[in-house]
Amino acid sequence: MASSQGKKRISATSNEQSLITRVSRSVSQSPIVHQSKRAASDAAFVLKKLIRSTGKAAWIVGTTFLILVVPLIIEMDREQQLNDLELQQASLLGTPK
Amino acid sequence: MATALNVPPTAPVTTPQQMKKEEEKVDYLNLPCPIPYEEIHREALMSLKPELFEGMRFDFNKGLSPKFSLSHSVFMGPMEIPSQSSETIKIPTAHYEFGANFIDPKLMLFGRILTDGRLNARLKCDLTENLTLKANAQLSSEPHMSHGMATFDYKGKDYRSQFQLGNGALFGANYIQSVTPHLSFGGEVFWAGQHRKSGIGYAARYNTEKMVATGQVASTGLVALSYVQKVSEKVSLASDFMYNYMSRDVTASFGYDYILRQCRLRGKIDSNGVAAAFLEERLNMGLNFILSAELDHSKKDYKFGFGLTVGE
Repeated sequence: MASSQGKKRISATSNEQSLITRVSRSVSQSPIVHQSKRAASDAAFVLKKLIRSTGKAAWIVGTTFLILVVPLIIEMDREQQLNDLELQQASLLGTPK
Repeated sequence: MATALNVPPTAPVTTPQQMKKEEEKVDYLNLPCPIPYEEIHREALMSLKPELFEGMRFDFNKGLSPKFSLSHSVFMGPMEIPSQSSETIKIPTAHYEFGANFIDPKLMLFGRILTDGRLNARLKCDLTENLTLKANAQLSSEPHMSHGMATFDYKGKDYRSQFQLGNGALFGANYIQSVTPHLSFGGEVFWAGQHRKSGIGYAARYNTEKMVATGQVASTGLVALSYVQKVSEKVSLASDFMYNYMSRDVTASFGYDYILRQCRLRGKIDSNGVAAAFLEERLNMGLNFILSAELDHSKKDYKFGFGLTVGE
């Protein structure tokens, strides 16, 4: 370990840039890393937009459903209850209807 | 072959002949009288254009005699002021309206007066059996906002014609004729002297017992088509398409109309991003509870109203 550190120290002192710097720079400045960073930021941007538009669509669909469909369900249910009550009363009292 | 039988009537009463599936020859001399020209879109309008309102509404109708009745109405809520910018300006207003109605088979009088100084009066009178006079007037305390209109209707055997006169040199005439038992065609012309505009329009209506389809074209640029289907005796569905070829404005809307025993529910959705619903619920004999909702998603303008109607 000491020898490898020593070797690195020797190479560090001998060149302008140290080996670690050169290696890390070659990794971080490579085109692949640039592209993948751009792709990741694009993906994050698209994902944020998608979530926002899904949220907006869900809000619109939800409130429209609440206005158009919920009263209908409630009223149809009441109608059904009224029908059942009448049917029951008709069968109990024997009204010829 | 069978001779000409009775034509299937478009009135609600069905004759026994219609029940049998016999071959019927259409009697072209015996066609039914068509619907008045201005009511040609009646079914579609009833389903798709309920009286949506915002705020609170209370109506009380009291009958003083079989022919005469009074009505009191209170409304409190925001009223929209048309503004030049895209923002809608709403001003809270409240008014009370007093009205009187006289209804007779030959004469009908109707008057309303509001606390903000507007008077609304309507008259419908049967001058002879086929000739009817209808007049309405709106007087207002603001200058140049009052107008009146008189209409003479003549009802023939299978046609109707109408002549209209309004203030500000407004003249109009229309005519509608039944062509087959289900189909009727009509046309109208009008001339407005104040704005120096004139126009001509045509309309057609096809109705069976289950559906009504109408179309209307006018030289003011309006093309309107509508279709109403009666899915069952309680439910009907309606759709409407309006296109203005001058201003390139298109609107399509779909709606439903449920008439149940305890309530009447109408809902509609529009291509302008507007969803609206109107519910009239019968709480008791002569007591109706009204709820109205309108969501405009494109302008983000939401209006809700509730009200109560007392009386027949």
